[in-house]
Formats: sequence, structure tokens, C-alpha cells
Amino acid sequence: MMRKRGLELGRWKGLLYVLPALVVVAVFTVYPLLRAFLMSFYTKYKFSTDTVLSYGINNYTYIFGDSVFQKALSNTFIYVLFVVPISIAISLVLAVMLNEKIRLRSFFQTVYFLPYVTSVVAMGIVFGWLFHSNYGLLNYFLGLFGIQPVQWLNRPSTALPALIIFSIWKSLAFNIIIFLAGLQTIGAHYYQAARVDSAGRWRQFSRITVPLLSPIIAYAFIIGLISSFKVYAEVYALFGGRAGPADSCITIVYYLYRQFYVNWNFGIASAAAVVLFLIILAFTVIQLRVAKRRVHY
Amino acid sequence: MKKLLATLLTVCMLLSLAVFTGAAADTQPVTVEFWHAMSGGLQNALVALTDKFNAENGLGITINLTNQGGYTDLSTKLLGAIASDTLPDMAQVYNSWIASSLDVVIPLDDFIAADFDNYEDILPGYRAEGAEFGPTYTIAFNKSVQVFFYNKTKYDELNLTAPTTWQELHDVTKAYYEATGMAAFGYDDLFGMFLQYMLQNDAGFVADGQVVFNNEKGVEAMTFLLDLFANGYARTAGEDRYLSGPFNNGLVGGYIGSSAGAAYVKPDGFEYGAAAIPVGVKPAAMQAGTNLTMFAKDPAKQAAAWEYIKFLTSTESTVYWAMNTGYLPIRQSGFESDEFQAYMETSVVARACYAQTANMAFESAFPGAQEIRNKLSSEMEAAILEGKTAEQTITDMAAAAQEILDRQ
Repeated sequence: MMRKRGLELGRWKGLLYVLPALVVVAVFTVYPLLRAFLMSFYTKYKFSTDTVLSYGINNYTYIFGDSVFQKALSNTFIYVLFVVPISIAISLVLAVMLNEKIRLRSFFQTVYFLPYVTSVVAMGIVFGWLFHSNYGLLNYFLGLFGIQPVQWLNRPSTALPALIIFSIWKSLAFNIIIFLAGLQTIGAHYYQAARVDSAGRWRQFSRITVPLLSPIIAYAFIIGLISSFKVYAEVYALFGGRAGPADSCITIVYYLYRQFYVNWNFGIASAAAVVLFLIILAFTVIQLRVAKRRVHY
Repeated sequence: MKKLLATLLTVCMLLSLAVFTGAAADTQPVTVEFWHAMSGGLQNALVALTDKFNAENGLGITINLTNQGGYTDLSTKLLGAIASDTLPDMAQVYNSWIASSLDVVIPLDDFIAADFDNYEDILPGYRAEGAEFGPTYTIAFNKSVQVFFYNKTKYDELNLTAPTTWQELHDVTKAYYEATGMAAFGYDDLFGMFLQYMLQNDAGFVADGQVVFNNEKGVEAMTFLLDLFANGYARTAGEDRYLSGPFNNGLVGGYIGSSAGAAYVKPDGFEYGAAAIPVGVKPAAMQAGTNLTMFAKDPAKQAAAWEYIKFLTSTESTVYWAMNTGYLPIRQSGFESDEFQAYMETSVVARACYAQTANMAFESAFPGAQEIRNKLSSEMEAAILEGKTAEQTITDMAAAAQEILDRQ
């Protein structure tokens, strides 16, 4: 009897402890989520008085018929497809190299961490200059190889690749940080044993480093996937507040932002948000399933 | 007798109105919250004027300036404030920001009728813009107008003069391009370029919720404009965002942009000129820049805000504002003041603006206008980059605009 009451009291106490966090989550995450879901069914809405005149699914039929939304969807998928794996592959290699006892190691570590603590807008401006067709460093180097200047940010065909290059570079920092942290946890004895068996560097990397790092890699994949699906700031910063030439780099969140804050189509913006939410949810679920089977814990 | 009675009654009514608002004017000291989007030198000028008002109004009114960032930030915050019923007492706005929320804006006609110094003195284009929704909801404040900037050194060298018509513009930019191999023209605002051309040719754009540019006038305008780009005479701002950058570096021979951007025109090694923009069948120069609007519900605050609006729009203030910011005086008397006349001697941009005061036109704000503007800018950029035909461009633009209108 006493024990049970103690348990119950403990439970209430626990709840009390997490209450502040719960309230914050409820107010700033759950409530807006529900509101957005509801709002996606507002077809006639008077904003200034917050009165809904009619409900329906028109917002969903609209976005799926809207060529700009389709463009935003395909751009976002292409973006995710390139940025996440390439960034993880490069950061893995760099992290392994930075983990070696090389000269100026901490200097290089700082250099690679820098993007993580730099504002996206500042980086966007710098990359805007790197990509500039007349004055850009990138075109200068290409010119050394006899390649004609590329109109990186001026042509729809090259704008998305430019955005992807920028984003890969930008996302390296975070991945390198967590990979380096993961590498510290792999015991030196594994490598010693491998060396005893005269395993080469590639074998050590593919048979020891990658499997033992797999939970971290899976984590990086999920985080990278979610944040890449939500790409917005990179586009805004690189193209100076536009979605690329003739909207060629529009992404789902950019579309959502524009529909909400510029066009004041709150229902359409909410419908786009719900679609984005479902996409991310689906991918995360699939990935967790796959990770469960493949990841070595 | 009857007529006399009617006149007397009207006079009585007007008087009582004047007394009513007059009574409100000398109320208790209040603080008025004013949201603006002026930064840098513009903000300094606004602060100087406001400090002067706060110190000298003698009614105990304090204006509290709050900088909300850029125009986009300001419009976003106002949007949020409408929803949460936390609007400031007054703000700078573009008319399109309030077009769908007129119920939260205070009409100013009674204030103007009761107590305002010579409203007719405000430029007609500005008065028309203020009253575009019927009642006067806004009063002009930081106004600019489109101006043609050109590389005067090169123009003199090539014996060219600033074009006064679109046909001349075509010929001049062709000559410039052929002589230098460089783009000769650009337009910061592609949609604005089309709209301006249409207005100048007596062709409509949107009327009563219907697209009215899907016709040969629209195609003619689009053909003319797209050809400038296809031939290499014109270029877009592209990665540079504003043409002042490439212009300063001599990469484009001239461009049409807002007079408010004159501060960014700092040519590298040449002299620049500024002229009125070319005209079509009739002149029309797009005015831009925000207006003052009032949201205060409390009569005491309304009266206080009105005192401040009167102060900001007075001849003296508007001249000070114009000379310190590069915006234009909103009053005819401002332009004609000795001070501003002397200033114009030194400013080629101010002269180009003054030459257009009678021709100013404004871009209508109607539900969906902002969305149409964005959509069509993008369509035009695509047409230029992808080399679409004018017919196709107009058809696509009309369909996109009509779809947006139908959704309102």
C-alpha cells in the first residue's frame, strides 16, 4: 500500500518536473502544428478578424495543380538527394583525416568548424561573390583551365547546382563535428588488432571505422535529411532574397514562406506545410526502419 | 431661403465637426507608437524630425519611433499585429499592405477637412494614391519616382542624348550597344517596366478583377521589351540584384530605377546623368515609396498622431526630409521653395524627378496585386532567360494573373 502510493507520488512529481518543458512544447510546437493543419482547410478566411467563412480541400487541389509547387517539390528532392549523401561522404573523409595526428590539427579543425558558427546570410553573400559571373573566384579558376565563365547565379540551369555546392560546403561543419566526436569513441585497440592482421587503410576504414560509426552516420543522415527538406535560408541568402533566376531555385519552405508572408494565402501555405510535414515524417520512418536493420549498435 | 438654410446647416455641421476634432486635439499628453522601416541616413533624418516634433509640439505628445527592419519585415510584423490586435498607432505602409484589411485603418478625410494645411498642395499623384480605396487612408511620406540613369561620359562621347520616348530608347540603346558591345539598358523592376509601358500606351492591366492586357497592346508592349533583351541592348540585374552595381562599373550604359536608389549610384570613373523616363502615347512615371497610415482607435491618440502627420507633411519638414534622404518633397510648395530650388541646382536626380511631378502615376493596390506582381516578374524573367515569344509570354502571364484574381 505504502509503496504504491510512493510510486504514484513519484509519478506526479516527475510530471511536475517536465511540466515547464511540456508547456513550452505544447504552446510553441503542438499548438502551431494543429493550427497549421486546421488552417490548411480554410478556403475563405478573413485574416483581420480571424473568421473562417468556409472550409474545404481546395488548398490541397490548388498546390498539386500549381506548377510552382511542383517545381518546389522537385527542387527540394534533387537538393536533398545531392546535399545529404555528398556532404556526409566528404565530412566522413575529412573527419577521419582531422582525427589523425597531423600537424596543425587544431587549426584545421577550427577552419572546418567555422561555417557552423557563421551566419548563413554572411556565407550566402560571400558565395554570391565566389559565384559571380564577372568577378567570381570560381570562374577565375575555371578560366585557368580554359573554361568559359559560367553564369552560375543568372541561369536557371546552373543556379540549382550552385545552391547545392553552397549547401554541401555549409553542412560539412556540423557533420564533421559529430563524426569527430564519434571517432573518439572507437577504441584504438581495434586498429591495433587490424594492423597486426596487416589490414590496409581502406580496409580499416571500411571494416572498422564505418561500421562502428554507423549510429552516428545514421543520425547525421536523419538530421541532414530533415534540415535539407526544410531548406530556405540558403536560397534566400545566396540569391539575395529571391528564389533564384525566374524562381528556378524555389523550395517547399520558400514556397510556403512566400504564400504566407508575401501573398497572404494562409490556407495554401498551411497545406504546403502539411505536405512537407508528411514527406519528412515518411522519410524519417523509412530511415529509422532501415537504420534498425543496418546500423551496428 | 431654402438654399441659405441648407448652406447654414452645412456650415454648422462642418463647424461642429471641426470643434469635435479640435477638442480632441488638445487632449491629455499621449505617446504615439510609430513603426517605420527607415535605416541609416534615412532613419537619422526621421529621428531628427521626430525629436524636433517631440520637443516643440507643446501638447505633450511623444512620438515613439520603432524601426522594424526593412519593408518586408515591417509588412510581416504589421500582418502579425493585425491578427493579434497589437497594431501600432501609426505606420509606414504601401497601400497593398492594407488593401485587404481596410477595416483596421482609420480614414483620414475628416481629419484633412477639419485641420490640414492646404491639402491641394500635395502632388496630385500622391493624393490619388492616398484615396485609391475611396476614402483617404494614407498620406504620402517617403516618395520616389522612376528615373532614367545613364552614363553621361559615354553618351557624350557617342553623341547620344537621353531618350525621351520608347522608340528613342530603342535607337539610343542600339547605338550604344553597337558602339561599345555592352548592354545599354536595364530595369530594376521587370514587372514595373511592363506595367509602366502599358499605362503610357493607354492600355489597361487589371480592371474589376479581370485581366485586360491579354490583347495586341499587351503583345506589342511585350514584343518591344523582350526584343531589347534578345538583341543584347538590355540586360537584367540578375545576380547583382540592382542595376546600380553593374552601372557603376560601366557594365551597363543606363537603367531605369527608383530615384531613392540614387545614393547607390557612384560611378567608377565616369560622370552620370539622370533624366525623366521615356514616354509613350502619354507620360506616366511610376511613383514608389511608402505612405503614412493611422491605426490608433483611441481618439486622443488619433489626434496626437494627426498632429505628427501634419508636422511630417508640412512644407518645411518635407523639404528637410527630401534634402536629407533623396526622397521627394510631397508638396508642390516644397519643390518650389527657395531651399529646394537651390538644392536642385546641385542634384541632377532631383531635377529629373521635378520634371515628372505632373506625370506621376501609381500602381493600383487590389487584393492579389502583390501576388500578381511577384508571379509576373518571375514570368518575365523566365521569358527573357528562355527566349519565349511575346505572344506566349502574354498568354502565360494573363492566365497566371487571372487565376490569382479568381482566387480572391
